[in-house]
Amino acid sequence: MFEWLALKMGELALRLRASLVTLRGIRDFIDDYPIDEILLKAIKGEEGVYPFGELASYGAAMLGAPINRRGYPRFLTIDDLILVPPAFTPKRLEKMAELLREPVFTDVNLEVDVGGLKSSMPLVVASMGSTDIASRYSIAIAKAAAKEGIPFGIGENVHTVRGYDKRLTRGHPSFKERVMAYLTNMDKYGGVFIQQNVEDAYDEHWNKVYSDKDLEPYIDEGRVAFEIKIGQGAKPGLGGVIRMRREDAVKVREKYHFLEDPLKTNKKTVERYSAPGTYTADILRGMIRLMRTSYPRVKIWVKVGPFRDVLDVIRVAYEEGANAVIIDGKEGGTGMAPSVAMKELGYPTIVGLIKIREARLMGIDDRMSLMIAGRLFNGAHIVKSRALGASAVYAGRPFVVAAMVKGEAGVRNFIRATRVETQMIVSALGKYDIRDVSHEDVASLNKDLATALGIPYVYSREF
Amino acid sequence: MGHGNMGKVNPAVLEFEAMVKDKESYIKFIEEWVKHSWRWAKEDKYVTVFKIQASILRAIREYLDSQGFIEALPPIIGPVTDPGIRGAKQATIDFYGHEYKVMSSAILYKQYMAAVLGKVYFVSPNIRLEPNDSVFTGRHLVEFFQVDLEILNGTLDDAMKVAEGLFTYVTRYIKDVHGKDLEKMGRSLPDYKPPFLRYTHAEAVELVNKLGCRNPSNTEILWECEKVLSAYHDAPIFIYQYPKGSRGFYNREDPGKPGYLRDFDMLYPEGFGEAISGGEREYEPIKVIARIRESGEDPNKYRWLLEMLKDFYPLKTAGFGIGVERLTRFICGLRAVWEARPYPKVAGIGPAP
Repeated sequence: MFEWLALKMGELALRLRASLVTLRGIRDFIDDYPIDEILLKAIKGEEGVYPFGELASYGAAMLGAPINRRGYPRFLTIDDLILVPPAFTPKRLEKMAELLREPVFTDVNLEVDVGGLKSSMPLVVASMGSTDIASRYSIAIAKAAAKEGIPFGIGENVHTVRGYDKRLTRGHPSFKERVMAYLTNMDKYGGVFIQQNVEDAYDEHWNKVYSDKDLEPYIDEGRVAFEIKIGQGAKPGLGGVIRMRREDAVKVREKYHFLEDPLKTNKKTVERYSAPGTYTADILRGMIRLMRTSYPRVKIWVKVGPFRDVLDVIRVAYEEGANAVIIDGKEGGTGMAPSVAMKELGYPTIVGLIKIREARLMGIDDRMSLMIAGRLFNGAHIVKSRALGASAVYAGRPFVVAAMVKGEAGVRNFIRATRVETQMIVSALGKYDIRDVSHEDVASLNKDLATALGIPYVYSREF
Repeated sequence: MGHGNMGKVNPAVLEFEAMVKDKESYIKFIEEWVKHSWRWAKEDKYVTVFKIQASILRAIREYLDSQGFIEALPPIIGPVTDPGIRGAKQATIDFYGHEYKVMSSAILYKQYMAAVLGKVYFVSPNIRLEPNDSVFTGRHLVEFFQVDLEILNGTLDDAMKVAEGLFTYVTRYIKDVHGKDLEKMGRSLPDYKPPFLRYTHAEAVELVNKLGCRNPSNTEILWECEKVLSAYHDAPIFIYQYPKGSRGFYNREDPGKPGYLRDFDMLYPEGFGEAISGGEREYEPIKVIARIRESGEDPNKYRWLLEMLKDFYPLKTAGFGIGVERLTRFICGLRAVWEARPYPKVAGIGPAP
């Protein structure tokens, strides 16, 4: 009797545990992602740059820099770098001479060219694809990004899965709804960049976009880019995986590879695999040339995962006149990637920055933008990245989190807060244009990183 | 012959250029032109144009037949079609649950039929949903006809020679048969004498840059620059050896000059622009697959072609296509291709007959 009870209790405990395990995706995200920082900005806007809650407000808080980290990170991150303002600030003097008063942080100019598009600041909304979460919040994010003047991406498969203009799935905007939500809300800054993967190519996605009359005026104005995707941070070398409802799967049966034929299964959902797409240097070269020939009025972006030969990709893209390359580090977000891929494949974001620094030293000038992605979400990340040669930070998840908590307003708040944060930091460095920020403004808390990036190690005499 | 007659643009081409300067009024004009085409198609001028067009086709057939080519009926639909069409979209139909394409060109079937018949040609209808801005080129129709030929075991040079012979024969034939008609239309055609000038792509780019049209070195010759080049000559010219990547996957890479293709274009003189596109075909399956990836596509889509290339290995062919409406435009000295077809389909404008 007692044994039976113990057994039952054990079973119950295991089941409880099991149900918690199934919550993993969300729990890990909340535990691990800097969700508080983003939420605070989404709710409070510019005020959110200060670490005040309802209890610790202005004048009552006594906060200093936190020295503890939750958990122990397995690899180095951009947070292992710090920004090092000087006491003597000749650029501030210059700015003062221009303004005839002491400059403040709001005087900092953040406007930059990103991959041939004009952006109000060095921040870009990553191309997010057709997954439920990316799709559900896409309109709010599109509108907010357009109104705040930062470029906005539309990822692969949206056309194939959600429909080009008519909706294929209920409750999810079509490609056209997404792109127009952005374009019609845009003012003098911003632009949209659009991916096409192997399956979208089947539908001639780019051709369709390029001859779409509603997009034409924006294409003429130079506000549209096409983004070639060569892998992504969370699963370099692997294609996308998506779970689809059976009836939706039947519609796209010939374009995707399904492990189980959706016509023959009785399951409600089936897993759909897209191909990662095969590249060689020649194929990429040919692809860019073909795009320049076929779509002379759009900019060309190349997004690449944390691959060891990323410098070769950058070189080919530069030689063929692409407008931007984005390196997506392994911390990059994803709709769905195998755990082992997220843990083991590819290198951390900070290594992407080392590659960018190297590319710049190799002679890749600012005719081509180099962007960095992967768990970058605040003003410090933007300034550090710029200081090391990146043109902008390319981020996805922060916008989704902000949209989840407060819709379009949340995303606008987040962008504004990040803008103010960036301006503050740049002004603290004694500079008033983000383009003046350089490697002298950063130092490293880690010796190896210092060497790799060619910047001083803080705990040393040469600093 | 040759060049030196710099900037001699045909008056019809100049008239077209003047028309498109004011985009709004041009669009208004073209809408009316396309939507009520029967109102002008019966005018004397166009009756003559369509008669000359019939003679052009007769002359083409006469010439090709005399050279040992066999005419085959063209395909109309298939699971895949020519993807190398400069940003134009393909038309899709539902084929019993499969997605089929309407031929944007018969290219993939030419290799097929060359394997069957040796020297072959199609007079084939093509559909290309061109980008909207193609309305302003005067050279693009959404629905058009192409004489598409292919030579089994042919080379680049073989194809270029057929192009020269064909062009010379047809122009002489039309001058003989329709001399008075041409005179009435104010069109004078010289006696063309092959061989025509041949430029490599690199030489052509250098030349257009010298003529003041800026063209990037590794891309297709821009429409604007093509016109400058065409206007610079009073006989057709060839441009060959295009850089890889600027063309469809079926154009063969030169094994002796990696990065360049064994392909060519022929341009009409007097600013009329591109006449012919052709070359040798890639036949190594792995090379074809790599080239297909350049357009971002899954080679699986082209499975029948790849299987055929393996079965018929090595399927070496060369050939070219010549647009019938463009040839008509050139011979009759018309403003644009939409005068060379009684029911022209122009990008973005419809419904119309």
